[in-house]
Amino acid sequence: MEKQHKVLIANRGEIAVRIIQACCKLGLKFVAVFTQEDVHSGHVKLAKELGDDKSLYCISSYHDANEILSVADAAEATAIHPGYGFFAEDFRFARRVTERDRPLIFLGPSWRVIRELGDKINTKRIARSLNVPTVPGSDRPIYDESEAEKIARTLFDFQLQQGVEKPLVLVKASAGGGGMGIEEIHDIDLFRSVYRRIRNYAMRQFKDDGVLIEQRIKNFNHLEVQIISDRSGKNPVHFGTRNCSIQSTGLQKRIEIAPGFDPKTIQYTFDAEKVLNDIIEHSLALARKVNYDSVGTWEWIVTKEGNPFLMEVNTRIQVENGVSAAISKIKGKGGVDLIAEQIRTGLGEPLGYTQSDITFDGIGIEYRLIAEDTDNKFTPWVGDIENFTWEKAPWLSMHTHIPHVTKENPYTIPTEFDPNLALGIIWGPDLETAKQRGKEFLNNLVIAGSNAQGQSLKSNIPFLLKNTDRILKF
Amino acid sequence: MLDITSLLEEIKQRPYTDLSIKTPHTGIIEFTDLNEGDKVKDASGEFKEIPGTKIAVITREKNPRFIHACQKGIIQKLHKQYDKQFVEAGVEIGVLRHFLSKEEVISILLQKALHLFRAPERAKYYFAPEADKKIKISGSRSITVTDGMELFIVSRMKREVPLTYHGPEGIIYQVYFKHNQNVDVNEPLIGICPPDQLQTIEDVISRVNHEWKEQI
Repeated sequence: MEKQHKVLIANRGEIAVRIIQACCKLGLKFVAVFTQEDVHSGHVKLAKELGDDKSLYCISSYHDANEILSVADAAEATAIHPGYGFFAEDFRFARRVTERDRPLIFLGPSWRVIRELGDKINTKRIARSLNVPTVPGSDRPIYDESEAEKIARTLFDFQLQQGVEKPLVLVKASAGGGGMGIEEIHDIDLFRSVYRRIRNYAMRQFKDDGVLIEQRIKNFNHLEVQIISDRSGKNPVHFGTRNCSIQSTGLQKRIEIAPGFDPKTIQYTFDAEKVLNDIIEHSLALARKVNYDSVGTWEWIVTKEGNPFLMEVNTRIQVENGVSAAISKIKGKGGVDLIAEQIRTGLGEPLGYTQSDITFDGIGIEYRLIAEDTDNKFTPWVGDIENFTWEKAPWLSMHTHIPHVTKENPYTIPTEFDPNLALGIIWGPDLETAKQRGKEFLNNLVIAGSNAQGQSLKSNIPFLLKNTDRILKF
Repeated sequence: MLDITSLLEEIKQRPYTDLSIKTPHTGIIEFTDLNEGDKVKDASGEFKEIPGTKIAVITREKNPRFIHACQKGIIQKLHKQYDKQFVEAGVEIGVLRHFLSKEEVISILLQKALHLFRAPERAKYYFAPEADKKIKISGSRSITVTDGMELFIVSRMKREVPLTYHGPEGIIYQVYFKHNQNVDVNEPLIGICPPDQLQTIEDVISRVNHEWKEQI
């Protein structure tokens, strides 16, 4: 890199730790931020250890763009890495970063790309123009009741033709999100009443009564394609697929596996190899179409019959990036770091390799370690962590922001953020070995603590252990 | 039995609190011409629409914001070494000595007289919809709580769970939490006045109203 850059990390926890590490790997200066609740977080500790006197600042909120940008100026940062969550997919923030009086580099896609793919309806429209399959349904908000009913009837008929015994249609507020304003209908005669309810709700909540009508697909696998491209946007490559079907009851991912299927050892009712190749090709086609210029994830659902449908594009680095890196090699070399690749190319370096230089080896499993009560709707557990240890192994990488803890010096889980504690990434040469190592890791892992009522820490380790057996099975 | 006399005497020994004045966010701070020992006013007006005395102005991203006195009192310290410097969020820029008002003294004493229902964990607390509606219309004292009543919603990490009140029957005399703000574990949420304690509570209020002389 010609210019000496300094990267501001506009995030916290595990991803902030990994961005600090990636910066150090690339020989870049960094500046981290934290709020008072995070004063004991590992990312703060690491920033103190590895940074200089302008590498760590206390801010009032991770959601406050003014805070982030004022620190960027004070610390003389030249680029901002948003991590995931917070500002990662906010095109207005990305635009502001790059177009202010003292412009900075936004280490994510250009704001136009985020805007184009951040809108699910627009993504669907572009995808359909490329013959990329998307979840059947409307590709624009519907404001007319008769038109909405016509689409719903078509979707019912389509499912009956496909042999679906109990067809379902989703009615969604177009401007909604996070599961708000969605209802499913199993009887077309109920459509009008549900449509009106959602339309009125959407008007009240979002000031826009546009509604989407989609097929409700049940019994599917959730797959992803990991894409990266440099700033030219001309030469996107993929780092394989992931399967993220093991989720909590609230549809939050808990185990991610790379690659997405393992047809070598598991028999599927469809041609799994072809499905994986198809979703990769479709994802790359869409990336080329929009001149995608950073790291991103194309999310797919694959039905029991092996039909893939594009759900959405996440224009950011994802939590599970490490599991794809674990099975990847560039020009025969392992130790791939997609966060470092995102920073390097985001700062203007060319990718430096093509698809033929990327190879894959083995199976990766990522466990999201969370303090939660999996028997009680995955309710987050809050309290002090007093012991957190695991056995090191060459096939294991752990990413966490939990500092070294003891009974006398515990870490209190902040209640203000997501309850993720750590990511454990396992590698195995084949699925069986990976699963075996995964179980070994989980069995030796110790997470203990107590809350204000003296109750013991609840973690999702038993859930992860139980579900390891069904990895990649459909 | 509550010994109001000795409690009042105790408060009279130190009739003030020293409040730390902190930066609300990052930015470049500039002090006004206030000095240590100066008196400051808090927000006033029917709706507290007139802000308190300006202590400093903090500017970030070209947006200046005044830091006003949040209570009346006397400036004890001003950390003027930060003047025209970039400061982080939560940095102490001064100390304000605030002399207790009658209402504050009553509140301190009531915390000792009422049955306090405390936060079982750090979280945001809301009244359950039915109670919330009633409180908004008629105030908290219109609600009589009983043991086992589902009274709160606890919100943390994007999850909401109901919380049941446990304790003696009585009216909600004081509410100690604010909308959308975190409450630390064991901090009081509400103060309950059982019917047989009402006289004691009224005595507390009456005594303070007669005996407490507000300073400044």
